Amino acid sequence: MRGGWRLWGIVIVLPVLHFLLHVGLGASRWSPDLLTVALLVGARELRTGTAAGLGFVFGILEDAFSVLAFGANALAMTVLGILGARSREVFVGDSLLFLISYLALGKWFRDLLHWLVSSPEVRGALMDDLVVDGAVGAGYAAVVGAFVVLVVGVWREPVA
Amino acid sequence: MPTYETEGGQGTGRRQGTLAGLFLVLAVVALYLPGPAQEGVASALRGSVLLPFISAQQGIVDARIRTAEVEALQARLDSTLAAMSVQRPLADENRRLRELLSLRDRAGPSFVPATVVRPGTRGSESMFVLDAGSEAGVSVNDPVVSADGLLGVVREVQARSAIAMDWTHPDFRVSAMSVDGEVYGLVEPSRGAFREADRLLLSGTPYHSEVRDSTLIVTSGRGSVYPRGIAIGRVHSLHEAQDGWRKSYWLLPAVTPAAATHVLVMTGGPDRVDADEEVPYWGLASDEGEEPASEQDSDGTPQAQEGLEVEPEGT
Repeated sequence: MRGGWRLWGIVIVLPVLHFLLHVGLGASRWSPDLLTVALLVGARELRTGTAAGLGFVFGILEDAFSVLAFGANALAMTVLGILGARSREVFVGDSLLFLISYLALGKWFRDLLHWLVSSPEVRGALMDDLVVDGAVGAGYAAVVGAFVVLVVGVWREPVA
Repeated sequence: MPTYETEGGQGTGRRQGTLAGLFLVLAVVALYLPGPAQEGVASALRGSVLLPFISAQQGIVDARIRTAEVEALQARLDSTLAAMSVQRPLADENRRLRELLSLRDRAGPSFVPATVVRPGTRGSESMFVLDAGSEAGVSVNDPVVSADGLLGVVREVQARSAIAMDWTHPDFRVSAMSVDGEVYGLVEPSRGAFREADRLLLSGTPYHSEVRDSTLIVTSGRGSVYPRGIAIGRVHSLHEAQDGWRKSYWLLPAVTPAAATHVLVMTGGPDRVDADEEVPYWGLASDEGEEPASEQDSDGTPQAQEGLEVEPEGT
């Protein structure tokens, strides 16, 4: 197993925190998408199959509350897990800028996938969901995710 | 984060690729599962892994109701007691008259109080969890109402919880009429630019019938799901008039889904929907041709505009 206890701590604790904030406290309006952050961070360290499985589990958990598009989160997160794991072979970066960009782009791409998979009658307007909400959500998740990753110390390389 | 690292050997890479493909197929299967199977999976997850989070929100909502809304609840209780004290002699009189006329007692609906829990996760818009289930008598297609009117309908039921959709759900439809029973139509949701801008649309009304702004629209009792007379919303403006044969109107919903925390589930199943039996509960005439409802009907039940705050006793 790669990553060590810190990585698995993030992969377990962030989703628990995500559901605690979104479901337990009902504070979804101001809570970042920690589930996607956990997957993106985990996927950079895990093998492709494991990352896909992790994405599937996260997605299906979120789909448990989805009457409108069951399975959309599972598919989006599985694809994101695969792409996150494969991104090691394409993008190599250690800087804080890379970390924030990776998290922001990953979160935005996850929203795009969910939007594409959801049926047209349930999804919102492209401009609202992806350009406005998507951009803000991606930025928020990236900043929070980068903070968590740096504090926990999963980002092992020196930050530029 | 690691520096560049490959999947290992060729065999490991192939295994990982197969595993990833398997999960991808599983995700696609989940997306295209039949509705009941999807609901089964979702229900199992909500009843196991996610149960602590749902319970946490139920506790928080209960605490919020007990503290922040005490004054509002006290006011409702006072108005209910006041109305009931006036109704009691009327109810007794009604009972005696029914006995004289050899009429059977009205079965009436029963109400199960429930707390609304909103998951707030992506894709969970338009649905909410209720903390009452089949053990309390809740069943699928039971209407969910608040003091202001119709909120939604139950979709799935577990032993101690239920999943319901509110009126913003794309599948939501309800047969409706104006409160005077003059105009009938179908109410459906219409998406706004933002979720907060979602509205209701009353369509299929006769072209030559004019529905004035602010007219209360209530359920008509047709369709064996919603009893007659539950407030849905008020007419806001004309949406369109189609080629001289029908009109549709925008409605301002009676209930704002996001604001609903404590609701009532109308139990009783399809037997509940018997217009002749149910109408007086909501203060409406049972026949389409009857006069508009008076301030109080024969057994003293207040009009539908007053919503559900008052439940007649013994009628």
